[in-house]
Amino acid sequence: MKLIGIVGTNADKSTNRTLLQYMQEHFADQAKIEICEVKDIPVFNKPSERVAPEQIRQLTDKITAADGVIISTPEYDHTIPAPLSNLLEWLAYTTQPLQNKPVMITGASYGVLGTSRAQTHLRQILNAPELKALVLPGKEYLLGHSLQAFNDKNVLVDTDKAQELDEYFANFVDFINKVKG
Amino acid sequence: MKILGIIGTNSENSPTRLLMQFIKKQYDEKAEIELVEIKDVPMFNESKDLSDKEPFISIRKKIEAADGIIIGTSEHNRSIPSSLNSFLEWSSFSVHPFDGKPVMLVGTSITRQGSASAQLHLRQILDAPGVNAIVLPGNEFLLGDAKHAFDNDGNIEAQRTVDFLGTCFNNFLRFVKVADVLQTPDEVRFEPGDYKVTTKGHNGELPMVVSFSEDRIEDIEIDTTGETQGIADTVFERIPQAIIAGQTLNIDAVSGASVTSNGVVDGVAQAVKLAGVDPNILKKRPKPSADTVTTPLEYKTDVVVVGGGGAGLTAAVNVLQAGKQVMVVEKFPAVGGNTIRTGGPMNAADPKWQNTFAALPGEKETLEEILNMDEAEIDAEYLADFQELKKQIKAYIDSDGKYLFDSALWHRIQTYLGGKRTDLKGNEIHGQYDLVKVLTDHALESVKWLESIGVEFDPDEVSMPVGAKWRRGHKPLKNQGYAYISALQDFVNQNGGKILTDTPVKHILFENNKVTGIVGLNADNRKVIIHAKAVILASGGFGANTKMVQKYNTYWSKVDDNLATSNSPAITGDGIRLGQSVGADLVGMGFTQMMPVSDPETGELFTGLQVPPANFVMVNQQGKRFVDEYESRDVLTQAAIDNGSLFYLIADDEIKKTAYNTTQESIDEQVKAGTLYRADTLADLAKQLDIKPAVFEETIAKYNSYVDAGKDAEFGKEVFDLKVQKAPFYATPRKPAMHHTMGGLKIDTKTHVLDTDGVIIENLYAAGEVAGGIHAGNRLGGNSLSDIFTYGRIAGKTAVKETCEK
Ligand SMILES: Cc1cc2nc3c(=O)[nH]c(=O)nc-3n(C[C@H](O)[C@H](O)[C@H](O)COP(=O)(O)OP(=O)(O)OC[C@H]3O[C@@H](n4cnc5c(N)ncnc54)[C@H](O)[C@@H]3O)c2cc1C
Ligand SMILES: Cc1cc2nc3c(=O)[nH]c(=O)nc-3n(C[C@H](O)[C@H](O)[C@H](O)COP(=O)(O)O)c2cc1C
Repeated sequence: MKLIGIVGTNADKSTNRTLLQYMQEHFADQAKIEICEVKDIPVFNKPSERVAPEQIRQLTDKITAADGVIISTPEYDHTIPAPLSNLLEWLAYTTQPLQNKPVMITGASYGVLGTSRAQTHLRQILNAPELKALVLPGKEYLLGHSLQAFNDKNVLVDTDKAQELDEYFANFVDFINKVKG
Repeated sequence: MKILGIIGTNSENSPTRLLMQFIKKQYDEKAEIELVEIKDVPMFNESKDLSDKEPFISIRKKIEAADGIIIGTSEHNRSIPSSLNSFLEWSSFSVHPFDGKPVMLVGTSITRQGSASAQLHLRQILDAPGVNAIVLPGNEFLLGDAKHAFDNDGNIEAQRTVDFLGTCFNNFLRFVKVADVLQTPDEVRFEPGDYKVTTKGHNGELPMVVSFSEDRIEDIEIDTTGETQGIADTVFERIPQAIIAGQTLNIDAVSGASVTSNGVVDGVAQAVKLAGVDPNILKKRPKPSADTVTTPLEYKTDVVVVGGGGAGLTAAVNVLQAGKQVMVVEKFPAVGGNTIRTGGPMNAADPKWQNTFAALPGEKETLEEILNMDEAEIDAEYLADFQELKKQIKAYIDSDGKYLFDSALWHRIQTYLGGKRTDLKGNEIHGQYDLVKVLTDHALESVKWLESIGVEFDPDEVSMPVGAKWRRGHKPLKNQGYAYISALQDFVNQNGGKILTDTPVKHILFENNKVTGIVGLNADNRKVIIHAKAVILASGGFGANTKMVQKYNTYWSKVDDNLATSNSPAITGDGIRLGQSVGADLVGMGFTQMMPVSDPETGELFTGLQVPPANFVMVNQQGKRFVDEYESRDVLTQAAIDNGSLFYLIADDEIKKTAYNTTQESIDEQVKAGTLYRADTLADLAKQLDIKPAVFEETIAKYNSYVDAGKDAEFGKEVFDLKVQKAPFYATPRKPAMHHTMGGLKIDTKTHVLDTDGVIIENLYAAGEVAGGIHAGNRLGGNSLSDIFTYGRIAGKTAVKETCEK
């Protein structure tokens, strides 16, 4: 199974990136996860020509070829970071590769609430007609206190949270298989 | 009103921009509306802070300057455009321009729902703590199908839509005003005092004392004797400093010691609560800026003077005249202290001048009383002067002098006799001889010196200030106390002296048993450290600090908690405590002077109907007279205290005409405000005062009969003028108010401050009401001014001579 993991921030240091790296290792026997960044994507300004820039085309190809997408998002000001919404604007406005693509949302934040508001927004955004992704329903994965969650080898040390992630990921794999029929 | 419109999209062809332009055009007359674009602001990146760079910085300033903000948003994928999102992230990261700003949302979309979902997201975003805007509730303006909403001139076509937008906009303007009220910080008023609480240390609970004045946390002392040294030391130093500097409980923990840090903050919060204030108000205040906490303002000068009243400014001028540098540190926004409130005349015997005036009836009799006094009543150190004075008086009377008599000796003996009192414990006090001698020998020199720096005195009038007992008052031509302060202040400013206002002095710097400067706190809560060769304390007395009066009082049988005062609120005994912190001795602290006939609320003299004492008719709260109204201030004060402090001055329509400083208008206003009572009959007046009419009528009838007889069988009043007989009748509520504090720091004739062993505290001087020992149990009217200008000069000169010229 091939998955794309999108780091929802352009920050140099991000526990959401760490979380994806952990999943990449940890679920290596179940899926090949490729991590993609939103860092170098040009600023979306609704150009009159609906032409995707090079970076968007490459990412589109990867998403199209993949079985599903994991988006891990921080929470900035009760919503998702602008660089992530910027990516989603390009995808919606140009290539639309997320149509009917299984998506799993995770989020890590320093505080207790663990990105719950940002994830709610992200679900609404992904439900917009131009994106229309198939977001894994029913479940949420919120990793609060994310700075303390990993050891220096990027291993998720909180065993409860690690187990929860295992179950969540298993659900996602199931979901993908069902969607494929 | 200034409104900033933010075009919340970077796309070239956006109906949101058209909408914002329409709003600007349409409501131009109702508010000053400016539009800004965010399209050149780069993508937010936590790792690369550009919030102090253009173009963001200009927009930020516009937001800060605006009274209200309108954000126009488009809807992208059910949310706001990433360009707006990014802009708001910049506005929540290291700067927070939206904090507390009223914001109105409008939005467009090309579909029918018109940005409903984006606006909901935007509301949540603006509500996030880092942004913290105040968003207008309701009034959801959504422009759906936006591509077709505008005509060719950029106007919205549908009138209903325009009307609704107008309603929303009006509501917003009103909302901005309300939000403004929300922004005014909560007022706090602490119950002043020291509160004991505990805080968590590593080895258990640590006792801590937090001191409050009415509007500030003044001091936090943590008893760390039970604590091991280490990181916690930094906490115990830094956290209290930050709390005091910022007057806030919104304090960052010292890293690595968050438990102890929070413990200190919690402890102070407890104390705040005990002092009657909700600690959450202080928690919501901004953090102290790094500046205020870490970098004090530091100065170096020759002499630093604490307090910019008459004594302090005089000392400062003398330092400048000796060619040295001086800084005056003043607690209040303006200099002047109590000195600027004075009636103006200062006592100084100037026989040559006084002899040109004719004697008044009664003056000779006063002098004869001295000749008849029993010398056994005179304290030994004054006896020689007393005998010499008697010779002078005898010569004057023998020569049948018709002119006004005076001499420095007469001034000295009057100051001494006037100040001699015994307190409730039987302790006798009188002015310290050498201090009184210097005062009375040099007062005239002080008058001449004031003239030399530009104070003009009236040569045609020799006045007797209230309570002065003799006509030796030199009266400035200009307005009262202002005449002195303006001349002194001008001299300091024009001759290179520096005056720091709004900077209460909090500590004296003391190293190796020497005073080396002071520490103050300025209006920005920034520490001000001044290193100096000498410090002169001239911060006045403690008349506005009732707690302190109560603490030391030994003279009055009772000092009310709600005692009013004639003093400036700054006069809280700070200099006395500063002196004590370096070991100074105090003298005569139990003796204070009250103005018996003052406004119960404000301590002012000239409210209500303030008439000459011959027309005083004083009745207590039972409607009875209780004292000879012609008595001296302290007898009247004690009599009032014995009668529950509050009493009434009764007047009729004729007595009313003898009142000072009032007009019929002002009288009517006070009656309306309930601070002065008026009635057509005595019985009605009594009812208003909650007094039995029969008792009151009888009191007045008796008083009137004494006026007729010229004699008061009950209380011995001897000087009468008018009867109380013509309606309407008036009652002016009065109470004694704190006026002057005679006690203070112990000084010698060179103004050195002495410690409890009588040893000079090196480099520390004191002059004015902050010092004690001169006026003892009662100060003569007009003698303070002689005191502050004489000892102020000595302090300035001595400080220079001893610390700058050796
Ligand atoms: C209403 C009224 C009328 C009076 N009338 C007369 C009169 O007619 N004749 C007469 O002889 N006397 C009169 N007196 C008394 C006389 O005014 C005072 O005794 C005298 O002015 C004291 O002068 P000073 O310089 O010692 O103190 P002030 O003039 O009171 O000055 C003290 C200054 O120190 C400042 N200060 C206080 N604490 C600090 C601090 N911590 N740091 C820095 N600055 C501080 C104060 O703000 C103030 O400016 C009157 C007093 C009052 C209140
Ligand atoms: C501009 C900005 C806004 C933020 N707003 C929120 C917020 O609303 N809620 C929250 O839980 N954390 C907020 N945070 C802190 C994030 O929790 C934290 O930076 C991030 O989620 C950690 O994830 P990361 O390692 O992927 O950056 C904000 C951070 C930034 C930079």
